[in-house]
Parts: sequence; structure tokens; C-alpha cells
Amino acid sequence: MDALYLVKIGEILLKLGNRKEFEERLRGQLNKKLAGIPHSVNIMPGRYYVCVPEDRAEDAEFILSRTPGVNGYIRARKTEKTLEAVFEAAVQVAKERVASGLTRFKAESRRSDKSFPLGSFELSAELGARVLEACPGTRVDLHKPEFTINAEIRERAYVFPDPKPGLRGLPVGSGGKGLLLLSGGIDSPVAGYQMARRGLALDAVYFHAYPYTSKEAHEKVMALARILGSYTGGITLWTVPFTDAQLRIKKEAREDLTTVFMRTAMMRVAHLLAQKIGANCLITGESLGQVASQTAENMRLTESTTDLPVLRPLVGIDKEDTILLAKEIGSYETSILPYEDCCVLFSPKHPMLRADHEREGASYRALDLEGLLAEALSKTERLDIPFAISRP
Amino acid sequence: MIYLDWASTSPPDEVVLAEAAALAASVFGNPSSKHQLGETAKARLDEARALLASAIEPAALPRGGSSPTWPRIAFTGSGSEADAIPLLAMLRQALEARRDSRIKNLHLVASEIEHPAIYEEARLLKSLGIGLSLVKPAKDGRLRPESIAGAMTADTALVCVMAVNNETGAIQPIAEIAAAVASTAKTLGRPCPRIHVDAVQALGKLPFSPASLGISSAAFSAHKIRGPRGVGALWSAQGIEALAVGGAQEGGTRAGTENLQGAWAFACCARRHAETMERRYAGARALETRLIEGLAALGGALPLPLGRAGMDERYSPYILSIAFPGLSGEVLARALADEGIAVSTGSACASNARHKGRRVLDAMGLESELGFSAIRISTGESTKAEDIDRFLETAHSLYRKLKP
Repeated sequence: MDALYLVKIGEILLKLGNRKEFEERLRGQLNKKLAGIPHSVNIMPGRYYVCVPEDRAEDAEFILSRTPGVNGYIRARKTEKTLEAVFEAAVQVAKERVASGLTRFKAESRRSDKSFPLGSFELSAELGARVLEACPGTRVDLHKPEFTINAEIRERAYVFPDPKPGLRGLPVGSGGKGLLLLSGGIDSPVAGYQMARRGLALDAVYFHAYPYTSKEAHEKVMALARILGSYTGGITLWTVPFTDAQLRIKKEAREDLTTVFMRTAMMRVAHLLAQKIGANCLITGESLGQVASQTAENMRLTESTTDLPVLRPLVGIDKEDTILLAKEIGSYETSILPYEDCCVLFSPKHPMLRADHEREGASYRALDLEGLLAEALSKTERLDIPFAISRP
Repeated sequence: MIYLDWASTSPPDEVVLAEAAALAASVFGNPSSKHQLGETAKARLDEARALLASAIEPAALPRGGSSPTWPRIAFTGSGSEADAIPLLAMLRQALEARRDSRIKNLHLVASEIEHPAIYEEARLLKSLGIGLSLVKPAKDGRLRPESIAGAMTADTALVCVMAVNNETGAIQPIAEIAAAVASTAKTLGRPCPRIHVDAVQALGKLPFSPASLGISSAAFSAHKIRGPRGVGALWSAQGIEALAVGGAQEGGTRAGTENLQGAWAFACCARRHAETMERRYAGARALETRLIEGLAALGGALPLPLGRAGMDERYSPYILSIAFPGLSGEVLARALADEGIAVSTGSACASNARHKGRRVLDAMGLESELGFSAIRISTGESTKAEDIDRFLETAHSLYRKLKP
């Protein structure tokens, strides 16, 4: 028997004007992620139905739990549109819940097929009665039920318990494509995840300063990109060789400005790359005041080398909350692997906290890094990381 | 590849390895078995033990008849295991002490520059309730006998000091330490604690004769002297009541069916190293001096401990740590590897645990920025003067290029 999932979609419904496009985006995402599995995705009014072979049910749940635009999902029993078939399915669903220790329930029905012999109200009442009879110890509680038995009478009848929560948000790609500045730290993967949830497709860019940063650090970034790709349906990672630029800044810039100038230069390369790949914005994991370089003044300077919007979803998020989110999305354990780059060598003891826009901007431009940065871009390596099911 | 990482492991002696493989195939009996194959294996194992003994204690061999009832040398699975056995024996001692109300606490003294095989095991024992005092060396990387003795208490049951430090090459004054420990125990009115010496970097490279030093046990490893991995040895003056027991092999010190071919290969390598020690030592001194003088000529880089000069008898000529101020040792090691030169660092560069791997250098009181910038060069018998020159040249140009 195949496993049928009923998928609830949320915010898409609000986008009345281009709802069709959103629906197709989500369907496309699901098809992409389910590509290795025999499956079907059908769109019905207000519902998607995803069907996979029984032995791939866990994989399907992994995918549904990680796809933005999915509000909730639940394995459903599909039956004939007869009362007996619906009752039998409802009792089965109830028995599974009761087996896990739950007792207080309610039954809910929806009926789009008006030819069905019972109305929604009567059907709910009858379902409740059948469950009470079949499962001793249960009782109906309409206000604070521990579980719900749902029956929907549509083209077929579907019976299912409470849906599991999905990520909500918008289908990846519906907001265009963003370029994420991905380091090996905790913040940037979370920032990427946040924006993917708002419908951005992602490419990621990593600035590699070999031999100052190790191969292990690069591999760690690849692993983080792979985790992000499990949400976005695969991801492209661009690795920019940044050693020469970093050394030039270190040698020629005033010591306290090295950090902010390096970030400014990275933003510039990201801008050039974004244009090349058709990204409509840049995304960083910056959080106001988290480290010395992340002040409003410094952000003004670092983003002055791009006219793309720089999205900083974590700018007002407390670090502890970011860590919780990183744990939730599964990136934390990788982020804390001890291959932090050796940038300590490049970090000034007292970095500039509030770069003066006019003055420091001029001294950044005086470094005349454009040629060096264009060369770094031309040597940038592309790595396409396909979507993969990888449970922690 | 120019291999300057002999202290990590050495290129195996291919002839010995091939002979060991043949031995493994032909003499496969279990030395504990009473049939002919087992007896042959036992005989070969005893030969290997005698051969290793002759390498470690050349003077002990002719005594023949007065051999002790325990094997002074027990083969183990590694140098680390040989270190673990006397340390873990303390647990057994501690548990047995619970029956003896006179013994309140057990205490362990170890130097802060020990190899992780000792250092981490000692910290584990501490977490299990055994008292631990860690002793720092002086700035020259050498332990002072009075510092070790000063850390002792009436409960001290074991003292661990290494013979040659694996990062700095500093040779520790083991005989003097043993004498200080014995006299302090006397003053305290207590029996002399056991003294265990990790001699992994000493065997075959420097004169090291445990029986003449006043120590209780010493650990050795085969693969540092061109032998195979997976075999070490524990020399002990009086036998050790090990925590791990089983088939009573190796006099009960190390249970488990014996690795005959490994033991045999180890013994052959040790014997050969003992025979050629003086010649190789002179060669290593020449290389060390070439390296240190070369560094001075190029400028910038500093041998560690600061001020170490060539021909200094206090340091093993086979091991030299060098600081490249302002550049992370890990970065330089990586860049050298790309140029075909293998060296090592004690550290995994991690900003959150930046100096974790620099424990030894930190303990010497070296400024942490310098420790952070250190790499370790270690040479062996096939290292050539040209290798040193090529290293000097490459390291220098990389340093100039990479120092931010």
C-alpha cells in the first residue's frame, strides 16, 4: 500500500493574484526533492496530496517537514466514500492514538461532496460514537481534545489525525534568488534558512583564505551548505579565493580598519557574483553589535560597495535565540566544529567600531581593490550540491 | 616528499616488515598453546623479548641466570597502552585501598608536558577521585627535580615524567628526579612512589637504560624507530598489577594473545637502533646544528625554547620546535605540506580553543603568541642535509609571503 500524505498549505492561499504560480513553485520544490522516489504530487483545492511507496514514508516526512510553504502534513487513510469504510478508518486512526496513551478526542468532518449520506455535523457525531464504542476509556472533549479525528469527504474520503506542523512560509524560489554570504559560523546558515523560508532560492558564497583557512574549514562550509540545501532543494556553493585580497588589506590598510575593509571587499565580490548569477539580494548573518564590526556605521560602509538590498534577518535577533534556531534546523553541531579559520592573524586588537562613512570610505577606495577582487571572482569555484535526505 | 615528522611516526624498515610478515604466516601458533606450534611461537617471542631487553639494557643480558620471575619487558599494543597500564593500575590500588583504612587518598604527580597518553589519563584519574599535581618545567623546557619532589605528598603513589619531550626535544633529568623522589619519600616517612617514564622519544635515539635510573617502569613504541604500528613495550622493575586482566600473558601485565610478529619486528628495530645509536646521533646533531644556524642566518624564526643552540646536550637532536612569530604554525605547516614538506604542529587551529594544542609550550611559560606560531621539525636516519636546506629555503620564503 502506498503512503498518502495530505499537505496543508497556508500563506499561498493569501496570494490570490498569483496563487497559481505559488502553487506550481511548491509543487516544483516537492517534485525536485522527491525526484529519487516514485511519487505523485496532486493539487486539489486547498490541499496537496503526496503519494509515495510505503517504504519511503519516512523520507517523504523528512521532505515535507523541511519544505517552506508547507503548513502542515499528515499521513491520511484514503477510503471508499461509504459510511462503513469511513468509520473503520476512523477507528483505526483512533486506536493508534489511544495506543500512545491519549484519551480525550473530538471528531471533525468536512464534506465537499454533498451527495454523501450524512452532513458534516451528523458525520462527526457518528464518528465520535463509533470511536467511543471501539476504544474503551476514550471520551469526547470538544474544548481541549488530546487528538482529533478528521474525516474529509471529497473526490474520495480521507481520514486522518492532527497534522504535523510544517515550516510554513513561502515556497523556495517564489521570492527570486538571494546570495548568502556563508561562513563556518553559527549565524549565516540560520540567516539563509530564514530567507529560504520567505521564499528565496539560495546560492551561497564562501571566502576561502587558504592556507590561512584550512581545507577542513572549507569542508565544514560545504557541510553547512548541504544542510541548507535540504531545505532549499539543493544549493550552489561558490568559493572565492580570498587570500590575496586579505593580505593586501592587511598590508596596506590601517590596522583597526582591516576587519571592516575585508567585509567591505567581501560584499563587493558578493555583489559582482550576484549579478553574474542573477541574484536579487545579498544575505548575511550579521546581528547588530554582536561583534565589533557589526555596528550600524560599519554596516553602512560594508554595504556601500553594493546597491543590492543586503538582507540581515538576524540583525535584531539575540544570539541565544539564533543558537536555538541553529539547533532546530540541524546546523549547530556542524557550525561548532573547531575549524574556525585562522583569521585571528588578521584581526586587529582594537577594530574600528564606528567607521566614518566619508573618511573610511575614501580610504577603502584608495586601496583600489577592484582589479584584485575581479580576479578573485574569475577564480571562483562552483560546487553544485544536490538535495539529499540526511537525517541527523 | 621531504619527511620531517619522524617524531610522529617513522618510515618503516621494509626488510624487517617483510620478515615479520613471513614470520606471522609460518609461526602462527598461540604462544600459550602447549603443542609444538605454540611452543615454537613461545620460543620466538622469548627471543624477541631478550633481543629487546638487550637493546634497552645491554648490560642486563649477560646476567642470564638471575632473571626475575616476571618479564621485565611486556609487549603491549602501543606506547600509549604501555603508559596507560601503570596509570590504570592506580585505580586497582585505589579500590583495594578502600579495604585498608590506613590509606585515605591516592595521589599522582605528573609533569604538565607529558604526552596525552599520560596527561589525559592522569586527568581521567583525577576526575575519578585520585589526587593529581601537575608540575611545570622551567623556561628551558626541562623539569627540575625539586619541583617534582615538591609536589609530592604523603599519599603520592605514582610519579610520571617523560624522558624526552615530543615537542621540544628537552631531555629530562630522570635519574636526578628519581633520586629526589626517593629522598623526599624518605623524609615523609613513606615508601618510595612508583616512577613511570614515557621513553617513547628516547628509545634508539639517546642512551636510556631504565635499570640504572631508579625508576619503576618505562614505556616504548615500535613505530617511532621504523617498526610497525600496533606494538609497544612496558619495561618494569617489579611487575605491575594491571587493571585489565585476562589470559595472564606477558606476566599478567598485558593480557591478550601476543603479537609475535610485531614484537619480533620491534625487537629487531630496537636492536639495530641500539647498535647504530652513536653514529645516528652524530648525524642528527649535525642536522640540528645546520637547522638552527640556518634559521639564525635567515632571521625571523626562533628555535624553541628561546635561546636553544645547536650541540646542546640538554636537547634531543632529533626534535626541534621553531616559532615563526606572527604566522600561525598551522598555516605554515599547511603551506609546507603543499610544497612537499611534512612537518607538524601541536595544535589544531581553533579560535575557541586556540592554544589547546600548545599546552607544552604554554607550560614552559612561553608567550602564547609564540607558541601559536610554532611548528615541530623532527628528523631521522634518512634525513639529509639537503632536506634541511630545502626546508629552510621554503619555510623562509613562505614565511615572508604569508606573514600578514
